[in-house]
Amino acid sequence: MAVNPGDADADELPSVLWGLDPVFSAYSRLYITDILQMKESRQVPGVYFYKTHPIFKVDVLGTVVYKREREDFYCYGVDDSTGVINCLCWKDEKYSDQGESTKSRDPSGSSRGFNIEDELKRLKETEQKSTVLEIGDLLRVRGTVKTSRDAREISATSFYKVDDPVMAEQISRMLEMPQVYRKCYDQPFQMPGDDLGGTAAGGSSRFHYLLSRAVLTLKEFFLEKEVARFRPYDVEFLLHPLIQSSSAEQESDQPGTSFATQIRNLLKETLSVLQDEGQIFRKIRTQDEVYNVTEQDKDLHTAIKDVLREDTKREKYAEKGCHVLHILSSVRQRYSQNLSREVLEVALTFLECNSDIISTTEAHYTVL
Amino acid sequence: MLLPPAVFHFLWEINTDLVKDGASVRTYGRSVHVLKFSEMVRLISYEPEGSKAILSGPQSSAQCHVSVQTTLVEPFQPTLGAQYFVLGEIEKTDGLSGVILHARALSSIDGVDLTLMQKAIMEQRCFFNERMPEICASSPL
Repeated sequence: MAVNPGDADADELPSVLWGLDPVFSAYSRLYITDILQMKESRQVPGVYFYKTHPIFKVDVLGTVVYKREREDFYCYGVDDSTGVINCLCWKDEKYSDQGESTKSRDPSGSSRGFNIEDELKRLKETEQKSTVLEIGDLLRVRGTVKTSRDAREISATSFYKVDDPVMAEQISRMLEMPQVYRKCYDQPFQMPGDDLGGTAAGGSSRFHYLLSRAVLTLKEFFLEKEVARFRPYDVEFLLHPLIQSSSAEQESDQPGTSFATQIRNLLKETLSVLQDEGQIFRKIRTQDEVYNVTEQDKDLHTAIKDVLREDTKREKYAEKGCHVLHILSSVRQRYSQNLSREVLEVALTFLECNSDIISTTEAHYTVL
Repeated sequence: MLLPPAVFHFLWEINTDLVKDGASVRTYGRSVHVLKFSEMVRLISYEPEGSKAILSGPQSSAQCHVSVQTTLVEPFQPTLGAQYFVLGEIEKTDGLSGVILHARALSSIDGVDLTLMQKAIMEQRCFFNERMPEICASSPL
């Protein structure tokens, strides 16, 4: 049943967006009265709406006021003081074989102080006890909401009896629920990333979006063309399509900044991000802005490998390898004083992926 | 249709008109007196079939006494002076004992933090009162 967002009720969130709501994926702690009154979604049966949030999994804690047993499941009526709901709690198959395992008890095994079979049996019995409840017991149920024969019920995915001798669990739940409601369920669902479309409100986030696209574009370019060194104007052309497409979407925004200025700003930011990540670096700080691409710079790789090869011959580093900082200072002396730790780490990871070097611990490397 | 939910009430509220006859409630209090009484209908005659306990609230004035009919939760080993949590139906009679709570679930909660419990119940009530106008406004199912 396709939903046309135009004529559907404005209240209901379209189903493609449900995954964006974190409440949807969590076992929501709703009051039972709300679970009973939730409206079922028109788009997908089996999903319900509490205010603007799509819900299908819930978590309830309450007293058992009603019990019905069938062959495969227990049906407990749970009352949390706001409502009563039926919970279908499926019986575990492994407990049904309980009778058979009790008969054979190996006499030779009991010579050891700790009989593993007995302990396992006792563990199983304890587990089983926590799933059989009587009226008046406190039950915690997590499961999916279903509607069957006009009645809402919870089909439990997990349930257990709660030991609550001083009401601590129930009290803390009573205190916590209003908070959760106020912070979470009663808050209208906000669509994240509404500003990707380039509305006037999302100026800076649009820039972030452009920036991440630009970083990605440059990285792909370096990889594809095996660029070892470049100057900024060499790669400027890559950013043109990004600015052009984004400015086509927002016509009246920022009429003052020219195309060239936008490109320059974006390029500067992109290069700065790439430098911080260690993907590019400037070997020599001169007037000439030349950048080396870490993963493509063969000289750098050779320098690193030489350092490792020589130093691991020394007894001090033979077994454990060289620490990153040691490698950094050595390579700085050999190759370039301007090398940052991030660049070195990118290079080391690259070499390790190529199996030229291996890491002995998280921060130590050695050569093969 | 399932049983109605048992709403939290304090002992002193049960004796007033706030709680209607036949309502399902949850409450807690200290047991002060245990008597063996007759079957459920008659309150005062000494026969070992029925059983009845009296719970009192913190002030232990007459206002805070509620009688609890414990037939449904037998065997009930009472400890005088201990705190109990009760869930059941209210029956208001004109007899001497006033209000009777027919217990469906009864458990000992000795050691409970009373002030915290009271605070939690009040907080929950505040929240429900805040929501009430909204719930009335939206269409109920």
